[in-house]
Amino acid sequence: MRILVVEDDTDLNRQLVTALEEADYVVDSATDGEDGHFLGDTEPYDAVVLDLGLPTLDGLSVLEKWRRDGRLMPVLILTARDRWSDKVAGIDAGADDYVAKPFHMEEVLARVRALVRRAAGHASNEITCGPVRLDLRAGRVTVDGSSIKLTSHEFRLLSYLLHHQGKVISRTELTEHLYDQDFDRDSNTVEVFVGRLRKKIGSDMIETIRGLGYRLGDAGDS
Amino acid sequence: MLVTAEQPERSGSPERRKNQRSLAARLVLVAAVWSALALALAGVFLVSLYQSASERAFDVQLEVHIKALISEMLESSDEVSTRNSPTVQQPNYRGDPRFSLPLNGWYWTVRRADRPQILYASESLVGDPLNVPSLGDKESGASFIAGPTNDEVRVLQQRITIGDTAYVIAVGAATASYWADIHEFARLVALTLCIVGIGLILAIFLQVRVGLQPLSRLRSSLSTVRQGEAERIDEALPREIAPLAVELNALIVSNKEIVERARTHVGNLAHGLKTPLSVISNEARSSDGPLADKVTEQAAIMSTQIQHHLERARMAAQRRVIGVSCDTEPVLARLVRAMEKIYRDKELQIQLSQAAPIRFRGEGQDLEEMTGNLIDNACKWASSKVEISVSLSNDPTNNRAMFDVIVEDDGPGLTVKQRAEAVQRGKRLDETVPGTGLGLSIVADLAGLYGGTFKLDQSDLGGLKAQLTLPQLSSD
Repeated sequence: MRILVVEDDTDLNRQLVTALEEADYVVDSATDGEDGHFLGDTEPYDAVVLDLGLPTLDGLSVLEKWRRDGRLMPVLILTARDRWSDKVAGIDAGADDYVAKPFHMEEVLARVRALVRRAAGHASNEITCGPVRLDLRAGRVTVDGSSIKLTSHEFRLLSYLLHHQGKVISRTELTEHLYDQDFDRDSNTVEVFVGRLRKKIGSDMIETIRGLGYRLGDAGDS
Repeated sequence: MLVTAEQPERSGSPERRKNQRSLAARLVLVAAVWSALALALAGVFLVSLYQSASERAFDVQLEVHIKALISEMLESSDEVSTRNSPTVQQPNYRGDPRFSLPLNGWYWTVRRADRPQILYASESLVGDPLNVPSLGDKESGASFIAGPTNDEVRVLQQRITIGDTAYVIAVGAATASYWADIHEFARLVALTLCIVGIGLILAIFLQVRVGLQPLSRLRSSLSTVRQGEAERIDEALPREIAPLAVELNALIVSNKEIVERARTHVGNLAHGLKTPLSVISNEARSSDGPLADKVTEQAAIMSTQIQHHLERARMAAQRRVIGVSCDTEPVLARLVRAMEKIYRDKELQIQLSQAAPIRFRGEGQDLEEMTGNLIDNACKWASSKVEISVSLSNDPTNNRAMFDVIVEDDGPGLTVKQRAEAVQRGKRLDETVPGTGLGLSIVADLAGLYGGTFKLDQSDLGGLKAQLTLPQLSSD
């Protein structure tokens, strides 16, 4: 899962990036509105954490521009101006949720997790597909009730496939959502990780659709 | 649990206002007193002029009779003897029949200047004396005396010298008709001046009414601004008071700018403080040890304090806003839309019911803040249902038009003790639900600032019932 953090305070930006990375998200970050808008406009993100008080272009304008241009990724706004008028203005501009500053990082992580899950159409924090169960809150994967150990990259790959189970996901889409913008898109790392994941959760769980990509679970499953 | 309302500031007490006399009454009173005085003086002056003129005319009439008497006294003497040694004879003056009728008010006498005895007198005196005052050294003189019948008589005396002898001829006439004329004139003058005076007072009243009408327009225009029905005072006023309207409009604009600036400052301060506070608090939470724990604890206290004082600063700025109001329905509908999005996971049924359009007499942002906190709180705790109803009510103590916003949920609700604690600053009843714990106390403070009330009760739905009573903008 790939997240964009747009926060002008470099310390807070760093903290958000670290916390999200520790939660196994791939994170890009920007410290002003224009850079943030550009990244959100050109890269596919699964969620955005957007501060409203940004230099060069304020957060509300960034959000409005994204929505006007049809960018529908879930957006969590961070605001120090926490009157309801500010919050409602953010929600009306297209935000999906808000967190008022000062906040606890756990709260931001919980909100981001909920946004990503909701965007993929899952109501609960546990996503299952056959014997595989992913606990989003604990970041734990079990197969037939037994916990399995996954590397960070494997976890991200499984999480993305579970969020979009039943759908064919191209290698490019996986690369875009599992790696940050500096990653070499032509490398065949995805195939390597799919192979390793098959060994851990069962070889029949991830189906290769020739020429199109991969699919977890049966078509139409959710 | 009822949070008492702090009454909003009012300008001047009604008692003081009652003692201030109306400007129009003051103008009418001064003009009326001055006009009455001027008319009275004019009346006195006119009557006195008329009296002097009447007196002169009366004296001229008496003088004619004196001359006729002198002529009669010398009539028999031939011209030469008169010139050389004039002699006096008894005048038989009948030039005016009134001198013949007994005691009818017209009299004449002739006496020697050096003796008091009367030589000749008119028949009308029928032997009675005419007690005229002495002329002294004067040649002539007029005076008022009591006549033979005790009536007032005006007497004109003239000294003449015939030969070596000086005579004093006195002609008198009763003054009754003279005074009757003067009194009639005075009555007519008084009547005329009274009519003129009443006309003047009416004209002054009209003038004041018409003259002060722009002031009354200015007052009603200012009142519409104060009530929030208009944003500016109508400046189409006479030259003399138009600058006042312009200045008042400038004051209103400046007032709004000050509030806006204060709000921006508070917003900037919030941003400036809360972002580093987030950094400090998250840095400390990600570390171990007593120092990190202390920093986390103190950062939480700072956060609550900052939140409280920023909110108070916002409210203090808010107190000075003149003339704002807003429709309740769009504000609540926007909040419901936002809550449905924020709490979509809970699949809550949020119902908003408002029978008639209601305008809140206050800032839309404040209504949004109060109701936003209540609805957010209800959504946090509700199991499946949140009901919001808006209805008209009345404040019986101040007889003001109010309205109620009632927010109910089907959550676990609060005990009486918890309800009392919920409105205390920074009190959070459940640390597992996000929030600063200031929400309900902010609602109570803001409601009090607007002269409203805030109550927490048990809802029929099973959860908490929050009732907010706020002033509405009445249509009158």
